Amino acid sequence: MKKHMILGLVVAAGFATGFGADQAHAQKKSLVIGMGSADAGKLDPHLASTTPDKGLLNYIFNGLVRVKPGQASPDFIEPDLAESWTTNANGTEWTFKIRSGVQCHHGYGPFSAEDAAYSIKRASNKATSSYSGDFAALEKVEAVDGSTLKITLKNPVAGFLGYVANINGGNMVCKKAAEEMGENFGKKPIGTGPFQFAEYQPQQFVKLTANKQYFRGAPVLEDITYRYIPADSSRDLAFQSGELDMIYGKQDQTWVDRTAKLPGVKVKAMEPGELSALYLNVTSKPLDDIRVRQAIAHAIDRKAIVQFKGAGSSREAVSVVPSGYLGTDEKSPLFPYDVNKAKALLAEAGYPNGVTVKTIHTTLTGMQTFIEAVQAQLKKANINLEIELVEHATFHAQIRKGLSPIVHYQAARFPVADVYLTQFYDSASIIGTPTAITNFTYCNVADTEIRAARVEMDAAKQKALWKTAQEKLVTNVCGIPVYEQLQLWAWKDNLDLGYELNGSLNLSPPVTEKTKFTK
Amino acid sequence: MTAFLIRRLGFAVITLFAVLTLVFVLVRIVPGDPAQVILGDQASREAIEALRERLGLNLPLYQQYVVFVWGALGGDWGTSMMTGRPVIQEVLNVLPWTLELTFLSLIIGVIIGVPLGVAAAVRRNRFTDYAARIGSLLGLSFPPFVSALLLLLAFSIGLHWFPVISAKSGSLTAWVESITLPAINLGLITAAYITRVTRSAMLEVLQEDYVRTARAKGVPWSVVVWRHALRNALIPVITIIGLYLGILIGNSVLTEIVFSRPGLGKLIVGALNQRDYTMLQGMMVIYTLVVVLVNLATDIAYGIADPRVKFQ
Repeated sequence: MKKHMILGLVVAAGFATGFGADQAHAQKKSLVIGMGSADAGKLDPHLASTTPDKGLLNYIFNGLVRVKPGQASPDFIEPDLAESWTTNANGTEWTFKIRSGVQCHHGYGPFSAEDAAYSIKRASNKATSSYSGDFAALEKVEAVDGSTLKITLKNPVAGFLGYVANINGGNMVCKKAAEEMGENFGKKPIGTGPFQFAEYQPQQFVKLTANKQYFRGAPVLEDITYRYIPADSSRDLAFQSGELDMIYGKQDQTWVDRTAKLPGVKVKAMEPGELSALYLNVTSKPLDDIRVRQAIAHAIDRKAIVQFKGAGSSREAVSVVPSGYLGTDEKSPLFPYDVNKAKALLAEAGYPNGVTVKTIHTTLTGMQTFIEAVQAQLKKANINLEIELVEHATFHAQIRKGLSPIVHYQAARFPVADVYLTQFYDSASIIGTPTAITNFTYCNVADTEIRAARVEMDAAKQKALWKTAQEKLVTNVCGIPVYEQLQLWAWKDNLDLGYELNGSLNLSPPVTEKTKFTK
Repeated sequence: MTAFLIRRLGFAVITLFAVLTLVFVLVRIVPGDPAQVILGDQASREAIEALRERLGLNLPLYQQYVVFVWGALGGDWGTSMMTGRPVIQEVLNVLPWTLELTFLSLIIGVIIGVPLGVAAAVRRNRFTDYAARIGSLLGLSFPPFVSALLLLLAFSIGLHWFPVISAKSGSLTAWVESITLPAINLGLITAAYITRVTRSAMLEVLQEDYVRTARAKGVPWSVVVWRHALRNALIPVITIIGLYLGILIGNSVLTEIVFSRPGLGKLIVGALNQRDYTMLQGMMVIYTLVVVLVNLATDIAYGIADPRVKFQ
């Protein structure tokens, strides 16, 4: 019996040697992407909240408008399912002309204003959407006729088009499919994009096939396999062996250096930068003393952090809002690095021998190396940062209970200053309140400006309000912005994305109807 | 035999129930909120509260427990909080992957470990023994993810014999391509365990009077070793295989991750990271069930290996 088994294994191993090597020569119409997560989450665009899910859904869905592929700024908003749009003087009524001849995937019929209205209602409903909060100002949405959509808002919303763009709640679902499938929509998402859902294999991949009826033209690629490979090193090896054409990188500079050396490979550090900042609870001792907060701000050397994180994949923060957002104050009065000043401020505040502050921090590698570097910098100014390491979900739960006087948070948001300011600094977003989001600072110093800017229709005035808000937040040391981490991706250089990649709002490069292999 | 089985199954049910309760409590003691994980970090508190209500997480603990046990008794393990898919389906999707990996690596472990252990015991304190002991020590102390990466570097990147993503199916060749490296990786570790246990069990047995008697009456040495001695040394080996089978299923997680294979280990780790309560509960029940069944099989195997063991 045993002998047979050994024989079987030997024969089997022999079989195996004959194969595997010749896969690279398959007809190149199939794109294989390697993503850094263990499995698909919710593939419903109004519920998906993780980068891997959002990246995949971007290939399946359109918005009323879209940010031009390869860009990550609202400056590049262009028509998508809506051909054109108009708005009234104070920005509370928006009328969209829906493109004709757009077909929903898998024979669910033409996409009309009816579908668009349904989709926005769905995205604004707490029961069916994670993004209902984005539509808080929505009063009414209706299909005036088959090709005209009218949205009425209770008040003007800064950067409103961003909420109907092809990300999060702005993704347009097909009404018939969504109604038919109900809660199961995420098992077979139906949209209008260049690729349609075909197959899901648990913990392995999602396969999409080309939507030949795509309104911008049939895609060149025949299919996309979106593989879930959580281990960074396995993803790298599979990329190296030719099993993957594009991969989500390990988010650090050593990966960039190593991967860039591989032959026939392109590596890109793209927008948006995720802002890494420290949020100080201004109501907790000793941080309630502004001099202690100023001392911490002076003791952090942003330049050294960027050197540590890698100049090719990170950059210094410019403000409490990440750089490049609509309304970012690119020259906000951030505190210069000055250890002596920090010590002097501490002494003045009554801590001549130094002070101890605490943070609860995640064990997520990229974030942990950062906080350890910060800890070393603070030590030079006699500030002892106690780090309590906890696992990631625990971290998210505990910081929202106010247990961490200093919170290190790293995030990118829709690139309009209002979003970042509202979520992190508006007092309505203070953790523990019924309207809580992520204000860990308990600051309210910029409420007036943040709220006024939100409804200000004059672009120049709005910008000025945002600038004042950022100045106040920086000088009051509610948050200490440190650096921005860019998104790292690599792909084979025979893959032509079909556009110039500078960035992507959902943090993953779009694959469009024009994406193709050149050889 | 039947009475024995019934009694054992009765114990199994009690064990299951205890584990269920323990898991139910434990997952809720750990900080972290599934609703928060599901909705992402931009979600407002209102949205999170609404979701908690939909998931039934706002109910008092005892009510949640009643709902859970009632469902479990009726065979309804609920749906995963994260993916919305039924827990049973999620588990059944990946169970075959874990089972084939576990059993194949166990077979490899036995094929290598038992003869090596016997050889080491017979040639005690000679080269074979030292080699086997050092080899098994290496196998035990090598983290499985390091050996997995080394295997991939050598056979997938260097020699191009196997794919890096070891999760193909459909044909026999695809299956063999996908299972070989992961099974070898886990198999070698298993072999290390089995070698050590076999060696020490054999050493003990070889001292026994009946071994000397058998030799004295002129039984060939190989027959003494393989029939008389090994047969009697098997009980601890079976025990360790039984115990290890339970551990293997959990241990396989690192191998699954590095070889990009689906599997139960990955499912548990994912569910834990995301605080997917329903999923964790369901998985633990299945895991307990497997361990209980393996223990039962081990007990039965004792009787086969050694007829003196009675099913009392």
